[in-house]
Amino acid sequence: MNVLHFLFVEPWPWWLGGIAIGLLVPLMYYFLNTALGVSTGYGNLVKLFLPHSKLKWLNTATYTKIFNWRFYFIAGMILGGFLSARFSGGALLTAEMGLFTQQVQWPFAGYAAWFLLGGVLLGFGSRVAGGCTSGHSIHGIANLHPSSILSTIFFLLFGTIGVAFIRMLLMGGVS
Amino acid sequence: MNKNLQYLLFGSIFGFVLSRVGASDYNLIFRMFTGEDLKLAYVIITAIITAGIGMAVLKRLGLKGRDGTPITISKKPLIIRKNILGGAIFGLGWAISGACPGTVLAQVGEGKLLGLVTMFGMILGTFFYAFMTERQEK
Repeated sequence: MNVLHFLFVEPWPWWLGGIAIGLLVPLMYYFLNTALGVSTGYGNLVKLFLPHSKLKWLNTATYTKIFNWRFYFIAGMILGGFLSARFSGGALLTAEMGLFTQQVQWPFAGYAAWFLLGGVLLGFGSRVAGGCTSGHSIHGIANLHPSSILSTIFFLLFGTIGVAFIRMLLMGGVS
Repeated sequence: MNKNLQYLLFGSIFGFVLSRVGASDYNLIFRMFTGEDLKLAYVIITAIITAGIGMAVLKRLGLKGRDGTPITISKKPLIIRKNILGGAIFGLGWAISGACPGTVLAQVGEGKLLGLVTMFGMILGTFFYAFMTERQEK
């Protein structure tokens, strides 16, 4: 199989993706002395919309500069997703979201409200828990931090419960 | 290389890999939680093991960065009530949106409009947190 086709067009096998993501943790420490993490950077995005907010939390040391490393890291992640989709083909823009838009027949505004709700819970929950899947589940567990192990157990537990309810109540039990 | 450019590069690799392995695919997240397809669970477990080995290697080498400065490993505090409550709220958000804070960025790059909506929701949720911590302090 052609290597470029394998890397840029075909979906990656789990082991390749897992190794590549895992390597980011030590490499970011080695090159930049930085812990891998994404969700804290959403504070930068809040400040992008409200640069003059007086809220104390938005003016802590983490967020005194909007365009600090977290901003560039987030921008890079969007760019990475863009490049991946461009190389492998597919629509530039899509209103679809897999099984959800296939199984649940709602107007687009209904979908938007649903995904907005999901986002609000993700944003709020990751700040309360102190991290997300990258900072807690990968960086934190790899370093055996108890708070990360505890948070991840509840990420997975309530993700499973949530999907079970969605399947039962919105998708009529099918998938 | 300029530091910000390095962060942009690391972010690009992360977003690219998440997208290539299917972590930004709603169906794969959904089927991980129903137990029908555990590909992403294997990705997460492999990532944790790889990161753990990588950190052990760094410690063997004296925990020094490329420029020779000591590496400080960031540790999030254990606050049992918050880790549980935040973890539960996050888990429900993960189920509803089929994304997490990292994969949603890859979705935005891939051109998924509902991923963009999730991202705006996350910004809003982060703002609510900032707002509520302010009220709690007063």
